[in-house]
Amino acid sequence: MARFRTWAVIALTGALSLSLGACSSTGGKRAEDARKAAAAQGRAAVNTPRWTFAMITHSGDGDTFWDIVQSGAKQAAVKDNINFLYSHDDEAQQQAQLVDAAVDKKVDGIIVTLAKPDAMKAAVARAEKAGIPVITVNSGSAESKTFGALTHIGQDETIAGEAVGDELNKRGKKKALCVLHEQGNVGHEQRCDGVAKTFHGTLQKLYVNGTNMPDVQSSVEAKLQADTSLDAVVTLGAPYADTAVKAKADAGSKAEIDTFDLNAQVAAELKNGTLGFAVDQQPYLQGYEAVDLLWAYKYNGDVLGGGKPVLTGPQTITKDQASALAAYTERGTR
Amino acid sequence: MTETTERTALVELTGAGKQYGNVRALDGVSLEVHAGEITCVLGDNGAGKSTLIKMIAGLHRHDAGTLRIEGEETRLDSPREALDRGIATVYQDLAVVPLMPVWRNFFLGSEPRKGVGPFKRLDTGLMRRTTREALLRMGIDLRDVDQPIGTLSGGERQCVAIARAVHFGAKVLVLDEPTAALGVKQSGVVLKYVAAARDEGLGVVLITHNPHHAYLVGDRFVLLRRGTMVGRYTRDEITLDELTKQMAGGSDLEALVHELRRS
Amino acid sequence: MSTAADERILRSSPLRKLLLSRPELGSVVGALAVFLFFAFAADGFLNASSLSTVLYASSTIGIMAVPVALLMIGGEFDLSAGVLVTSSALISSMFSYQLTANTWVGVGVSLLVTLAVGAFNGFMLTRTKLPSFIITLGTFLMLTGMNLGFTKLIDGTVSTKTIADMEGFPAAHALFASTLTVGGVDVKVTILWWLVLVALASWILLRTRAGNWIFAVGGNEDAARAVGVPVAKTKIGLYMGVAFGAWISGQHLLFSFDAVQSGEGVGNELIYIIAAVIGGCLITGGYGSAIGSAVGALLFGMTSKGIVFAEWNPDWFKFFLGAMLLLATLLNAWVKKRAEATT
Repeated sequence: MARFRTWAVIALTGALSLSLGACSSTGGKRAEDARKAAAAQGRAAVNTPRWTFAMITHSGDGDTFWDIVQSGAKQAAVKDNINFLYSHDDEAQQQAQLVDAAVDKKVDGIIVTLAKPDAMKAAVARAEKAGIPVITVNSGSAESKTFGALTHIGQDETIAGEAVGDELNKRGKKKALCVLHEQGNVGHEQRCDGVAKTFHGTLQKLYVNGTNMPDVQSSVEAKLQADTSLDAVVTLGAPYADTAVKAKADAGSKAEIDTFDLNAQVAAELKNGTLGFAVDQQPYLQGYEAVDLLWAYKYNGDVLGGGKPVLTGPQTITKDQASALAAYTERGTR
Repeated sequence: MTETTERTALVELTGAGKQYGNVRALDGVSLEVHAGEITCVLGDNGAGKSTLIKMIAGLHRHDAGTLRIEGEETRLDSPREALDRGIATVYQDLAVVPLMPVWRNFFLGSEPRKGVGPFKRLDTGLMRRTTREALLRMGIDLRDVDQPIGTLSGGERQCVAIARAVHFGAKVLVLDEPTAALGVKQSGVVLKYVAAARDEGLGVVLITHNPHHAYLVGDRFVLLRRGTMVGRYTRDEITLDELTKQMAGGSDLEALVHELRRS
Repeated sequence: MSTAADERILRSSPLRKLLLSRPELGSVVGALAVFLFFAFAADGFLNASSLSTVLYASSTIGIMAVPVALLMIGGEFDLSAGVLVTSSALISSMFSYQLTANTWVGVGVSLLVTLAVGAFNGFMLTRTKLPSFIITLGTFLMLTGMNLGFTKLIDGTVSTKTIADMEGFPAAHALFASTLTVGGVDVKVTILWWLVLVALASWILLRTRAGNWIFAVGGNEDAARAVGVPVAKTKIGLYMGVAFGAWISGQHLLFSFDAVQSGEGVGNELIYIIAAVIGGCLITGGYGSAIGSAVGALLFGMTSKGIVFAEWNPDWFKFFLGAMLLLATLLNAWVKKRAEATT
């Protein structure tokens, strides 16, 4: 026992002195704290009552994309004196029940994603009946109006895909691969179909298991080895772009890696030329605008878009713009 | 012997045998079980006792010799069939479901029901009452038949299983080493109920490797060694000493005694 | 012997006896605690409409937790239960749509096919004598693949087309997905299904021969076989019970949302098992109750929605769930040890 205690003290002292003495001057928790302080700060800029808005998304656990949406929503909530609640479930039935719960709570506004529109129909109607304004974000531009939502804020996946197709043409690509990391996601199909619509070359689809990164890498690698004539790979999410880069290196392929969406890593790789281009849907705006527009509606009866979706993308980002974006992706708002 | 063959035996095996693949587990075993008598099957581990039990209980079919039940030559295809013919088997380790109440265990597989059509349901009142009464008749006074049977001692569980067989009108009761895992006192209790079952008019097959237990209650003795029958006696043909000696290995034992003494 | 038996009874405390006879007791205490907790901590939790939402959330889990609990009492698992719900909904939807048949035809065909899958699980299990974990893991993967594959093949997309405008839809919707108004409060019909299933399952378990057999095959399969219990039939029946629950859940999914996502349901099988275990079912079989599974599902519903009402970060939901599961399992292990303790 005594010996154990001695060792514990030694280990503890060692760990402490290491952490104190060997401070990293870049990155780490300290940099993150600084970033956090920069984001979602300030005081309410309005004197409206403290309303409660609930956001319910179809996100799975631990998806960085939704962190960015949330940081936008929180920033707007601070400015507009809003109590902002966030919940999510990737199972449609569960997500609908979360909306029901928000209605039961009598919140003042609801922001919801319509990734699986049919499942959300009844829940949105119930909010409508209870007199709670609803704004749809991210997915569901086609259904938003018929369901009775004020407006939709997001990117049209087909249009985003078409932008990618155009950019690929501009770069003279002949044979591209579209990597779908979630089997059964309608939005992903629309993105690839959009690319195929405007792309003059041939486009192939590759389904991979997005929850298993090594599997994604090996699948893409195998595909690149099998078909050396591929000159472009398009991934549908930012985290998969980096994986595709590794697969490309291992396969010894010359294909250019391009991606939908953005994160810090993608911005850095755009800057150093590892990636060709990215098409961003600006998730920060989706969260920010949703909260702000709900506030404007409550305050002033304002509605943006006239029943048509308000598009937050696509924004095509190449090497030239990337360096300017790096600071924003670093702090987690792009 | 002649006077017993006049009566028809409840169960009679003649030259019965069983082969598993190319292993001869049992060969040329003959035994008879009569109402109100206890037939003891004695043998060391691996002598073929459990194979013999499985043949009588309907778990395995015999592939040599004949099996007669009340004089009629038959083959048993399942434990259910054996039960229907009045042969109930009580296994040492798998007699009961520990987490189920005593009364549910008692009626397991033969539950009485009342009501009609889809509303047919267990007659739980009758089941509880009967369980208590049947146990009482065997001399077991269990105040709470709702307790899980696993809370009873090993001996008590054997007794419930025996009482169950008696209650369901078994004509033949096959007991697999009922005293093997028990202490001296509890063994005595179990043997008492074995005798009680005999007094109810059942024919009992008692499998054991303890000649003292066997000789206490047995009327007939069958000795097995390495899958073959090495002896078959009625009570008046053999003494306890002789039985013990045979059981312990006869000449083998003498050799062992010699060997141990030398070293 | 009589005195020995009496001594034993004296030695067992009333609490211990109660715990042994009522598997769901521990979970009831837990559910009460969670309820009181959210009643105080969460604003609006006690509203009639909030409670109705909590009950609805619980019922969607509870409908499956009941047959899954029965199966676990019978000593087996079904990992295919989650995706089977989706399969059942997909079959019903696609059959009606593709043949332009009355929706009731699809509902009927779906029942037959779903029951057949359950029977297949049970048959494979009793025939091969492999662990149910392996057998149903196989069907789980096969069904997951078939759900995606067939839907894509037949419908061209990953979700089915709406059948809301087809003949028979309103009646089927009323049966599986309607909302009743009881005293000014909206109550989902699934709650009624749930209550009926719990009552039916409790009756089967405690008052019928089949119930006795379920406890027996789970508690000691060899002993059950030795006294003439039809073990294979009982197990196949249990798997078909799970399939029946999957059919009800699947039809609810279809008729409340008009269309079905083919990729869903994965992972839900564990939620059903968790509800059953929290409700007092032993992982090893032979012990548990249908009411317990309902309490388990209720705990699930209360926690998942209570966290929303309390305005907490939902990331902590799984932590609570895990803690409850551990507590329930510890309690059950203690019960089993006591029940099997011999002198």
